[in-house]
Formats: sequence, structure tokens, C-alpha cells
Amino acid sequence: MQDMRKVISRYATSGGARIAYQTVGNGSLDVVLVPGFPSNIEILWEDPGFGHLVKRLAAFCRLILLDPRGMGLSDGIDSRNPPDARGRAADILAVMDAAGSGRAALIGASDGAAAAMLAAAMWPSRCRALVLHGGYACFLASVMDAKALQAFASATEGAWGTGATLARLAPRRAADRALVGWWGRLERLSASPTAAAALVGMWGALDVRDSLPSIAVPALVLHRTGDAHVPVESSRALARGIPGARLVELPGEEHPIWMGDVDAAADAIEQFLTGEKPVAHGDRMLAALLVLRVLGMSSGAGRTVPGRHLGERMELFRDALPPVVARHGGHARWTRPDQAHARFPAAARAASCAVALRETAASLGLWVAQGIHVGEIDPSPEDLSGPVLDVADRIAARGSGPEILLSRLASELVSGSGLQFVDRGALAGIDCRAPLPLVAIASERHLEPRSRTAPRAANLDALTPREREVLALVADGLSNPHIAVDLGLSEHTVKRHVANILLKLDLPSRAAVAGLAARRDAP
Amino acid sequence: MLTTSTPVTGDAIKQAIENRDGRTLASFYADHAVTRIIDRNNPPSRPKEIRGRGAIASFWDDICSRMMTHHVDITLADGDRMAFSQACTYPDGAKVFCIALLRLEDGMIAEQTVVQAWDE
Repeated sequence: MQDMRKVISRYATSGGARIAYQTVGNGSLDVVLVPGFPSNIEILWEDPGFGHLVKRLAAFCRLILLDPRGMGLSDGIDSRNPPDARGRAADILAVMDAAGSGRAALIGASDGAAAAMLAAAMWPSRCRALVLHGGYACFLASVMDAKALQAFASATEGAWGTGATLARLAPRRAADRALVGWWGRLERLSASPTAAAALVGMWGALDVRDSLPSIAVPALVLHRTGDAHVPVESSRALARGIPGARLVELPGEEHPIWMGDVDAAADAIEQFLTGEKPVAHGDRMLAALLVLRVLGMSSGAGRTVPGRHLGERMELFRDALPPVVARHGGHARWTRPDQAHARFPAAARAASCAVALRETAASLGLWVAQGIHVGEIDPSPEDLSGPVLDVADRIAARGSGPEILLSRLASELVSGSGLQFVDRGALAGIDCRAPLPLVAIASERHLEPRSRTAPRAANLDALTPREREVLALVADGLSNPHIAVDLGLSEHTVKRHVANILLKLDLPSRAAVAGLAARRDAP
Repeated sequence: MLTTSTPVTGDAIKQAIENRDGRTLASFYADHAVTRIIDRNNPPSRPKEIRGRGAIASFWDDICSRMMTHHVDITLADGDRMAFSQACTYPDGAKVFCIALLRLEDGMIAEQTVVQAWDE
């Protein structure tokens, strides 16, 4: 996946204003994504759905991302005299000029659709094809009347920066507190409250219906049937108005193109622009899934803290979890008030995150059960589901807290992390599958595998005096070069001594040697 | 089959690329030509393949529609094999560098492998 840190934001000049843009991907075809409201091309990258959409599109084209005038990194607008659709269309062209794009396919999403349509109508030689998503030609005719818009603009200004507009654009996601928090940040970094209200107010003036018949480039009109912000009828009208346009209605209700089922939209766009059916993008990926359930207050806390504080503690924990998961390179969602799902690119991260979450929960006096499993998942960034999650869920349900349970399979991918595991039976198999062995993260880190808990009666007498000297230094944690200097030997000789020690004592590693020496030294 | 009056030589390729002349470039390819592109998004085990002169013409058409400068620096020819390097710059300064290896059949490009790296 392209890393945002490597993507350079640049500025085009359009009528004296600077418009920010980025280019991603190496394809021969240029595609410009004209986003909707709100936008900040650097912040949007933080959302896994946006990242996934960019990855899908940039895989077959050079994708040009931009912040519309008045939003994100682009110059602000005069809120008393906001730019019209024509001005925004000219901004698209200015970005294409700056990026050296002579001809590009334009993807207009949400209110960006009007600007994209106008650009396609005005400069057909610069537009290779047109894709619209959740768009409209006339806001007042398709979305809401002037009175409702005024009320929405005023509510937007009042609540700007709190993430409140998410409830309008993707209501089903508005219960996700972490997302609302991030959305608030996106709002604040996309515009000031006054500018946001002006931009929303500007929608009322958007009407490009007269231009539709003059759009002469191939056009694909996409719309999610349950779109919460713009009714699907709006795109049906677009498809009737644009000569030869093809309408594809997609399931879902999220308005932003980069939320919800991003793959369905990307598939349709790729097929339309390249003429090739996207290869099942072998994109199923190996991931570690963590399911966490809050079981209640830990017994210690229960004695000292009144039960009515549980709700408060839960609130704190609900807010604390997503950043902890993010720090471990994962992505989390609360799927129920007391249950969170998280996915990680590696099992070791999931395991160390689970340990951190257990500590966080303990500091709040909460008792949590966690289960981890690994497998191939659909990379769709939202709503984890599927058999791997089901298993992780059953593993978590098995735990009574605060133990962290993993499938043996997951634990085997964690080697080298320093974590140790103890057997915890098996999860009964479903659908004729074999039972799944489980392990728990051992509460202490051991220097050697837990299975060797009974120290074997190693016979140090078998060692030569020199080997015993080397053993003592290994036990002190010295490396071979250090030991070589200390004993005036060559490093090669030290290596041979260490190998002989391991062989004679039948130990698997230097760490085990150190552990053995430590135990023997203990009183 | 298109006829071409320009034989496929290093100089002709250089001229056509530097002048962003997609039509002439397309005329250098055999009907059944294959272009393979290897870059960050299209790794060696899964290169992007463009098959047939029609698709290759459309590819060059897209490339040549970009307002960028191309410099073909080195061209080598050895029998029916050719190679050239190409340095490109976008107006905003972003650079692309690619190396192309060609195999000719009856004087036309039958196979082309491009390895490219982009500023991003």
C-alpha cells in the first residue's frame, strides 16, 4: 500500500488561488478524483477506506487527488462570494495542467460531481471519460429544498468540528465514536466553521442541468441505492440527461465514495475505464484479528468502586481503545457497547496490543476477555466479518478474562516477539473441522519454552573449565565478541564453546543457558 | 496493418517519443506485439501486459497526452534487439525514469519490456 508519508502534496494555480493536489500511481491513464465535502487530502489518507480506494484506483492509473477550493490544503474562499461550479471546474483543469495531464478521466463524487460534469462539458478534449458517484446536477431539485439547506448550513456551522456532519453523510457509522472523533478532525482541518457554512450554502446554487446534454464523453453514473445524503433518483436523472451514460446502482447507504463497499465502486470504475474486468484482486490478505469483550469490573475494583461508575469507566475505555490499537498498527471498531473488533497486519502486533489493552482495562478496573486468530480476510476496511472473525469471536467468548487467548496457529506466528504461551485446550471444531488448539499468553516472559518448566538436572560437570567460564559470561548476557575479548579467545572459538555447551546440556538457546545458570545460582 | 514509412531505429524512437508522437510510436509495433511494464504497482511476477497494437496505441496516446518532457538518452541496437533509456519530467517537477528492452520481428517491435521508477 502506498504510504501517505511518501506522497507529495503540490499546488496548482487557478485564477490566483492555489489548489492542492497529489499524484499516486504509475499507470498510463490519468484519473482525477474530485472529492466531495469535507476534504483534506492529507487527513483523508488516515482513513483505511480512503486508502483502499486510492490503492485500487492507483493500481491501474495515475490518480490525481485534489482538495477543492475552500477545503483542506487549498486556498480558502471568500465566504461572501464563494466560487460557482464553473470556477471549481476551472480548478480541476488547473490541477491537470500542473500535473501535466493533457487528458484525464474525471471522477466527481458528491458535490464534486457538478464540477466534473461541467469540466467534461466545457473541455471535452481534456476529458477522456466521466465517472460520477453520489452526484447531482441540481442540489435544490435533488437533495433538499432551500429552507432545509439553510437549516443544515446553520447547523453545520454551529456543530462544525465535532464530527456532526457524519450523521448526515453516513448515519450508520455515526455510532462509531472513534470515527466521529476523527471526522471532527477532518472537519476542522478541511475548513473553518464560517467557510464550511459558506460551502454548504453554495450547494444551493449548484445547477448544471443545462450542461448535461453537451457532455460528449463516455460517462458512468454510480450511486448507492440507500445513499443517506443524496437520493438515488438524483443519479437516475443524471443518467437520463447525459447522452449515452450508464447507470450502475450499488448497494449501501454511505454517501462518501471512500466509505462502505469501496471495492464495488472501484470494480465498476476500473471496468469502465480500462475495459477490463478487474481480476479478483487476489487481495484477500492475511491478518490477525482481535476480539475484545468487556466482562465487567474486575473484582478488586468492585470492592472499592461503586458499580454506578461502570458506565463512566466504559466510556473512558471506549475512547482509549482505538488509539492503543492504532499505536500497534491495527484498526479497531466498537461493534457493540461492550465489544470491539480489531485487525492487525501481524499476529505479534495483535498479541502485544492485547497485552496493552489488558493493562489499560486493568487501570480502569475493567475485566476484559480477548481472543486472537489469524487467517485470510477480505481487505474491505469496514465491518470485519467472515470465518476468521467468527473463530476469534468464539476464542474471546471462551476466555473469562483477563487471559488473552490465541489460536495455536496465531501463537506460532508470534515467535521472536518474546511472548510465551501456555496450552489452554481446544475449541470444538465446527463444520467437520478439527478442534482448534488454543493457548494463552503466559503472564511472565520466560527465558525458555514453558514446556521446560521442570529444570532438567543438567550436569555442569560435563563441561570443561573453559566451557564453564564461557557459560558464566553467556549467563551474564555477554555476546560472543565480548566473551572473546574477555577470555582472550577468537570469536570462532567462543562460538564453538557455546555450541558445545548447548550440546552437552541439551539446551535450545543461549537464553536457555542463561536461564539454567540463573536457576542454579538461585539460593 | 498500418504501413509505416519510418523504419524502427533508435533515432526514430527517440524522435517520436521526444515529440510525443503517439501515432508514429504505435506504427512501430507489430500487430501481435506485447508490452510489459514493471514498476512498483506491477511487480516482476505480475507485470502489466498490454497486448496488440490497438491497446499499445491507446497506451502511447495516453502517455503522449501528458504535458511532459521526454528525453531518450541512450539507444542501443544489436541485431533484432534494442534498448533505450528515457527520462521524463512533469511540469510540477516529478520525474520518471525508464529503461525499455525491445525485440524486433521483421523490423517491427514484437516485444517490449519497460522497467520504470517514479517520483511520488
